[in-house]
Amino acid sequence: MGFSPRRRLNPPPNCVYLKDIDPSSVWIIVPAFNEAQVIGDVVADLRSVFAHVVCVDDGSSDDTADIAWRSGAHVVSHPVNLGQGAAIQTGVVYARQQPGAAVFATFDADGQHRLKDLVAMLDRLSRGDVDIVIGTRFAGTTLSATPALKGLILRAAARLSPSSRQLGLTDAHNGLRVFGKEVAENLDLTMNGMSHAGEFIALINAHRWRVAEEPVEILYTDYSVAKGQPLLNGVNIAFDGFLRGRMRR
Amino acid sequence: MNWIQVLLITAVVTLLVYLVRSRGNAKTKAWVKVGYLLFVIAAVYAILRPDDTTVVANWVGVDRGTDLLFYALVIAFVFTTLSTYLRFKELELRYARLARAMALEGARTPEH
Repeated sequence: MGFSPRRRLNPPPNCVYLKDIDPSSVWIIVPAFNEAQVIGDVVADLRSVFAHVVCVDDGSSDDTADIAWRSGAHVVSHPVNLGQGAAIQTGVVYARQQPGAAVFATFDADGQHRLKDLVAMLDRLSRGDVDIVIGTRFAGTTLSATPALKGLILRAAARLSPSSRQLGLTDAHNGLRVFGKEVAENLDLTMNGMSHAGEFIALINAHRWRVAEEPVEILYTDYSVAKGQPLLNGVNIAFDGFLRGRMRR
Repeated sequence: MNWIQVLLITAVVTLLVYLVRSRGNAKTKAWVKVGYLLFVIAAVYAILRPDDTTVVANWVGVDRGTDLLFYALVIAFVFTTLSTYLRFKELELRYARLARAMALEGARTPEH
């Protein structure tokens, strides 16, 4: 299968630049499940700025892995579908054992994030006063057209979660995160599915990592909305969060 | 003795034999077996003298022994469901770690 015609999902790379971080020390982790339509563009955009992109193909049945690899990503393929949390963990394990890796980022494969926001978050991390930077679509300065009900539920989730509240976070389920070695070395996500976002926040709280939020836009394209999780999945996520503490690591 | 009593006792004892013969890690399984043995004794007793469960029910403010057993069953069911759920989650995690190890073995680096 060839490439689909190039569709720019992000602004051209010439308007983004990194100030204090060596781009070759940055590893971008892209979990992907059946994203053949868009993964090529997403990886190519990331590769225009960053040398190291690792795409974790989560047992896709389409050409996601091959397309990502041809676009210049390292590819780690789960033999079976495990879920986004497991894919992120795999990507982090892979990236943290690479020589020279010092900074890590998670970036969704469906084209909902902007390269510009990622770079801003890396600059925020480079100030050195935090261990992890998380994107938020609810900072008040962003224009993201979050569907009303989704926005309401995401905000409520952030406010109801003890960890989020304690840390003052406003967006509990943003896929854009940037973190340093400390976080990468100690990250151990056990929630394989979509409940990992809450678990991530709980780990930040438990390890007392210093965290900051950075406003980001979410591009709700038809594609990313169709691929996104249904709101009803929030029920599963809440349930997992409730039982998380009962499980042995 | 009623036929239903014979059937129920046979079922309970068969389950006991099955459980005692099944293997697993020693300590936790041992307690499960002790608990199950007590359960079997109580069950056989209740089957032979069903009216006695009503006496016990009355002690705790329930009218009929049947109702008492029903409440106990509901609680046991919820407990079993939750422990199964957690067991599954644990298995899922081990399975994920296995798959991850395999995935990392077969990682592909880009050519350019």
